[in-house]
Amino acid sequence: MAESGSNGSASRHGQRVRIACDVGGTFTDLVVSGQNGFQLFKSESTPADPLIGIVAALELAARAHGASVASFLAHVETVAHATTRGTNALLTGGAAKTAFLTTEGHRDILLLREGGRLNPYDNTQSFPPPYVPRALTFEVPERMGASGEIVRRLDEEELDGIIDRLAEREVEAVAVCLLWSVVNPAHEIRVGERLAAKLKGIPFTLSHRLNPIVREYRRASAAAIDASLKPLMSGYLANLDAHLRALGFAGRLFVVTSQGGFIEASAAAEAPIHMVNSGPSVAPVAGRHVARLDTSGADAIVADTGGTSYDLSLVRNGRLPWTSETWLGGRFTGHMTGFPSVDVRSIGAGGGSIAWVDEGGLLHVGPKSAGAEPGPACYGRGGASSTVTDCALALGYLDPDSFLGGRMRLNAAAARRCIEMEIARPLRLSIEDAALAVIDVLTQNMVSAIEEITVQQGIDPAAAVLVAGGGAAGFNSVHIARRLGCPATLFPQTGAALSAAGALLSDLVFVAGRVQYARSDVPDISTIQAALAALSAQIAKFTANAGPQAVEIDYWVEARYPQQTWEIEVPLAGCDLRSSADLARIVGDFHDMHQKLYAVCDRASPIEMIAWRARASCRAPEVAPRGLAGRRSHPAGGRRRIYLGGEGWTMVPLHPFPSVAPGTTIAGPAIIESSVTTIVVPPRSRAIRLGSGTLKVEPVGAASS
Amino acid sequence: MMQDSSADAVADPSRLAILANRLESIARQMAHTLHRTGRSGLINTARDLSCCILTARHELLSEAESLPSHVLVGPDIMSEWLQRWHPNPRPGDAFLHNSPYHGNSHAADHAIMVPVIDDAGVHRFTVFAKAHQADIGNSRPTSYFSAARDVYEEGALIFPGVQVQRDYRDIDDIVRMCRLRIRVPDQWWGDYQALIGAARIGERLLLALGNEIGWDALEQHAADWFDYSERRMRAALRKLPSGRTTASSVHDPFPGTPTEGVPINVTVEVDGDAGRIEVDLRDNPDCLPNGMNVSEANASAAVMIGIFSSIGETVPRNAGSYRCIAIRLRENCCVGGARHPASCSLSTTNLASKIGNATQCAIAGLAEGFGLAEAGTIVPASMAVISGRDPRYDNRPFINSLFLMHTGGAGAPSADAWLTTVHIGDLGLCYLDSVELDELRYPLRVVRRGIETDSEGAGRFCGAPAGICEYGPTGDPMEAWFASDGTVNAPLGVRGGLEGGRSAQFKRNRDGSLTPVEPCGGVVLHPGETLVARCCGGGGYGDPLDREPERVTEDVKEFRISAERAGAVYGVVLDPNGEVDEKATIALRRRLRPVS
Repeated sequence: MAESGSNGSASRHGQRVRIACDVGGTFTDLVVSGQNGFQLFKSESTPADPLIGIVAALELAARAHGASVASFLAHVETVAHATTRGTNALLTGGAAKTAFLTTEGHRDILLLREGGRLNPYDNTQSFPPPYVPRALTFEVPERMGASGEIVRRLDEEELDGIIDRLAEREVEAVAVCLLWSVVNPAHEIRVGERLAAKLKGIPFTLSHRLNPIVREYRRASAAAIDASLKPLMSGYLANLDAHLRALGFAGRLFVVTSQGGFIEASAAAEAPIHMVNSGPSVAPVAGRHVARLDTSGADAIVADTGGTSYDLSLVRNGRLPWTSETWLGGRFTGHMTGFPSVDVRSIGAGGGSIAWVDEGGLLHVGPKSAGAEPGPACYGRGGASSTVTDCALALGYLDPDSFLGGRMRLNAAAARRCIEMEIARPLRLSIEDAALAVIDVLTQNMVSAIEEITVQQGIDPAAAVLVAGGGAAGFNSVHIARRLGCPATLFPQTGAALSAAGALLSDLVFVAGRVQYARSDVPDISTIQAALAALSAQIAKFTANAGPQAVEIDYWVEARYPQQTWEIEVPLAGCDLRSSADLARIVGDFHDMHQKLYAVCDRASPIEMIAWRARASCRAPEVAPRGLAGRRSHPAGGRRRIYLGGEGWTMVPLHPFPSVAPGTTIAGPAIIESSVTTIVVPPRSRAIRLGSGTLKVEPVGAASS
Repeated sequence: MMQDSSADAVADPSRLAILANRLESIARQMAHTLHRTGRSGLINTARDLSCCILTARHELLSEAESLPSHVLVGPDIMSEWLQRWHPNPRPGDAFLHNSPYHGNSHAADHAIMVPVIDDAGVHRFTVFAKAHQADIGNSRPTSYFSAARDVYEEGALIFPGVQVQRDYRDIDDIVRMCRLRIRVPDQWWGDYQALIGAARIGERLLLALGNEIGWDALEQHAADWFDYSERRMRAALRKLPSGRTTASSVHDPFPGTPTEGVPINVTVEVDGDAGRIEVDLRDNPDCLPNGMNVSEANASAAVMIGIFSSIGETVPRNAGSYRCIAIRLRENCCVGGARHPASCSLSTTNLASKIGNATQCAIAGLAEGFGLAEAGTIVPASMAVISGRDPRYDNRPFINSLFLMHTGGAGAPSADAWLTTVHIGDLGLCYLDSVELDELRYPLRVVRRGIETDSEGAGRFCGAPAGICEYGPTGDPMEAWFASDGTVNAPLGVRGGLEGGRSAQFKRNRDGSLTPVEPCGGVVLHPGETLVARCCGGGGYGDPLDREPERVTEDVKEFRISAERAGAVYGVVLDPNGEVDEKATIALRRRLRPVS
C-alpha cells in the first residue's frame, strides 16, 4: 500500500534518494525522500526476521518507481533504520546470555534497582526479576572510594577465576559495573582487559565507558542491557548491511537512536542500547518539522496513535524534549536504560485498546489491547472484546469495505454485537452512544496524558498545536485538541508513518558533556572556561568531520540548589563565559526557571553547576516542497453516514485525502480518508489543506465538545 | 457478582473518569515538584512524601503516588482543625501543620496546607503536601526518638496549623524560629520551600481547573466520585464472607514497654451482605511512657492500609469508599488514642505496622484469596538517622534518614512479595538510596548490601527475604539512631505461610568481631567500625508445600533459597540438573503434610 505526496517517480536517473525504514510491531514503514518529496510504503512486519518486511517494503517502493529493487537501491544515498518495537521484541526473545560483574558486596544492584512502585495496592504482581539473574552475577574483589581512592586493590587472581567460570557457563556477553568507576575507572578498565584477553569474541560493556554517571543502578542497568544486545544487534546490523548491499545498495547505513538522531550503523553495533525505542524518538522530529513548516514556530504536542500505544512528546521552542529516566518496559517493573532520551511517553491507548465496564459502572478504555491477534472484534479473527476500532466502525467512521485500502474486510455486525454486550447494556446506552462514550474516555485518557507532560514542562496547550500522527489518529484528535484548547490539529501527509518520516528529517547528532562542578558563590571562572573550551573542541572535531551541512549547536548547564539531587537544564547562550556578569545571567536564568517549573525559587541561595553539555546537530538536507499538481485522479468522494454526539446519524461528505487540493477548506462534519488513515472532521470545525500537504483542522466559532 | 451493578451506573461515565484523572494528575504534579526540589535525601532520594487534594468539607478526594500512612487518613482531620483555627482563609495563605494530636502522623512529617479559594472568595478545596523531615529539633538527633517519655523530652517543635505564608510571602517569624531550632537549617529551609512549591503548583492547577469547568461542576464531580467509590467498595466487600475475627501482632520489648513487648489486637467484623467492615482497636494498652504511641490519623490509616491491601487494587481510596468502613478507637489508647503530651515520635512506624499487619492477617483469616501476610516491621539500622560532621567539607554538619535497605514485602494470595517495601506504611512506594549517592553526600562507606538466602517468608507465595547492609564512617565518628522492631517477633505468615526473616543489628569492631547493639536507640560509630544492619523480610501466604515446584527450583537457581530448604520447607526435591524431581517431590510432600 502506498501513500504518495509526490508526483511520479522519485528515482529518475541521476536523482539521489534517501530512505527511512521503521520496523514496528505491526507494520514496517518505509519513507522515500526524493526531489519531489516523501512517499510512504507499508508492509506487514515479520517479527521473526525483520529483513523480510523491509525487503517487502523496498519491493513496493521499487515497483512504484517502475524499477527493479537493484536499480532503485542504486540511487539510494542513505538508509536510516529505526525499530519501533523491534528492540523490545528482541529483548524478550533474543537477548544474549549475559553475565554481570560488580564490586564485591553489591551483587544485588540489579535486583534492588532504586525501589519504588506504581500500584501499591496491587498484590497480583510479583517483584520483577533482575535484568541479569543472580546466578550469572559475580562479585569482583575490589573497591574504589567516592573520591577515586583505591580502598581495596583489584584481586586479579580472583578475577581470572571468575572469568574462567564465565567461560564454563558459556555466557555470550558480559556487563561490568564497579562502584565509583566513573571517578576512577582503573579497575573497570583492567577487568575489560582481562575479559578481552581471556574470553575472545565475547562482547562486553564497561559501565563508565558506556554511561559515565553517578548512581550505580542506572550505570549497571545500562551496561547490562547494552551488553545483552551486542551479539544479536551487531549481527543484525551486519546482516542488514550485507543484505542491502547484495541487493544493490551502495550508500551509507544509519541507525536511528533513542536520542532522536542517527548514528552510523557501526557505532550502533558498538553500543546497541542507543537503538532501544529508536522509532518513537524520531516521531517528535517529524512533529517539529511540521510545526516549523505549517505554523510560525508554535510549540507542538506530537502524538502518534498506534494500535496499542499512544506516544507523546512536546516540542518547545523548536527543541526536542529530554528525559534522564528511560525505562525498558514499565516504570518500576522494567529496567532503566540509564540514558537520557527523547522524552516520549507512552500510554496504553490506541486503535486496539479494549473498552470495559467495571463493577461500579465506570467505563474504562485500555490499557489492555487486543493487539493484532486476535485483534478487534471486527477483524473476525476471534476477538471478543470491544476495541476503539470496533467503536469507530459502529459510529460509521470506518467503512468496512475500504479499511486499509480495502485489504481487510471488517465485520460490522460482530463489532456491534460485542459493544452491545460489553458496554451498551451495562451502561444502559444505545450501541452508538456506548461507542461514543468509549471514544470520549479514550480522548480523556489521551488528554490527561498530554496535560501531565504539558504541565510538567510548563507549556500552555492553548498556545500549542497538536500534531496528530499514526493510523488511528483521525478518530478523536480534533476532540483532543479542542479539550486542550489547542488552536489547531495538524495531520501531516506522512502522519501515518510519523517515525519513518522523522528519521528522514533527523539530524546527525553528537552530544558531548564535561562534568565540572562549580558553585555560584565561589565561582572559578577559569575552570568553567576550561570545561567549556574542552567541550567546544570536541564539538569542533565532530563538525569538521560532518560534512558541509549546516550545524546547529546547543549548549546548556545542569544546575541545582545545594543539596538537591535533581538538576534542571539551563540553556547557555554559547560556549563563551567570560565574566562574572555572564555567570550572573546563568544564575538568574536558573532561578527563573525553577520558579516557573516549581513555583518557588531561592534567590538568596547560591546554585551548583554540575555538568556542561553541548549537542551538535548536522541538519538533514532540506526537503524540497512537494509538488501535488498533475496527480492521477482519485476515486471521487461521496458521502458516509456517521453518528455524531447530540445529532445522531448524519450524512457527511467523504473526501479522499490525496485529492484535496492545497488551499481547499472543508467544513465539518466531514470525513477525509486515505488508504492508511481516516480523519473525522467534527461539526464546528473546518479542515484546510496546506501547501505542505498537511491537513489542518481548526475550530469554528465557540469551541465546545 | 452483584446483579444490580448496572443500576448504579454513573450518569456520565466519561466525564467522571475525566475529572478523576485530572485531579489525580494534579496531585501527581505536586508530588513530582516535591521530589525534584527537596534538599534532604528523605525527599529527593527516598521519596518519603505525599500530596493530596481535599474538599472544603475535609474529605480526601484525590492522591497520587503518596505514602498510604500519610494520606489515607490524617489530611481530612487536619483540614477540620485548620478550619476551626483559621475559619476565614485568604488567597496566599499557607499553613504548617505537624501536630499528631490534631490529625498528623509523627511530628517529623511537616505538612503544608493551602486553601484553594475561587475568584469569588469561596474556599473550594485544600491542597496538601507532606514530607518527612531529616530533623525537627528533637532533643536527640533522630526523628524516631523511641525512649522519649513525652513530647517535652522528645523535643519536637509542634506546629498546630500555624500560618507560614500570607499573600504568597513567608511569614519570616516562623522561618527564623525554625532556623534556630532545627539541625542543618539550610536543609530544612530547602525542604520547606519544596513543600510550599508543591502546594502552590497544586493550587495553580486546581484554580485553572475550577475556572475552566466551573466550581459547582467540580464540587458535583466530587460528590459523584464519592458515590461511585462507595459502590465499588461495597461490591468489593460483598465478595468477603461475613464474620468476625481477631488477630494479634506483638511488638518487641523496647524501653518503656512491658518486658514481653506490646501485643496489638485488631478485631475485624465483616458484614458481607451489607458491604460493610468494622475494625476495633480498643482492646489495647493505654498510652505508653515512650515515643511509640500512635496518633488517631496513623492508627486509622494503618487500618485502611490493611483493608485496601486485602481487597484489590482498583477501589478508589477516598471519603466515598470510607463510608463502608467503621474504625473504633479509644481515648488514651496507645494505638489511636494518643493525647498530648504523650510522645508520638514513632507513630508512623512501629505500632502502626502492627495495626496494619494484624488487620490484613485477620482478613486473610476470613477467606482464602483475601488479606496478606505480615509485612516487615521497622525502623531497622539500615534505615537509621545518621548525623555527624563531614571532614571533607569544612566539618559541616549533616543529618538524614538513610533508606539503604528495606525488604519487607508481604506474601499475597496470588503473587510473591514486592521486595523493596519498607512496611505497611509505604507499600513499596519509597525508593532505595543509591550507595554512590550516599557516599557522595555523607562521609560513609557501604561495605555490602543484598538479600539473605533462606530468610524469605515461605509460603505458597513468599514474603520477601531479609535484607542486609553494612556501613560505617570514613571520617569522624558518626551517630546512628534506629528503632528496630522484628528482632524478637518475626513478621508472621498466614494461611499456613511461615514467618519472614527477623531484623538484627551488630557493630563490627575494628578487629572484625561483632558486638550486638540494642535494637532501639543510638550508637556512635568510630572510623574503622561498621554497623551490620539486617532488616525484616515479610511473612508467607499459604502452605509452602503448595508452592509450585518450578518456583521453588527457580528460587534455588537464583540462590534465594538453598536446596536443603527447598526440601525441608517446600518439600521439593531437585535432580542433579537442578530441575524438579517430580516423583520424589510428591512423595516428600506427602510425608511432610500433617495427617489430617
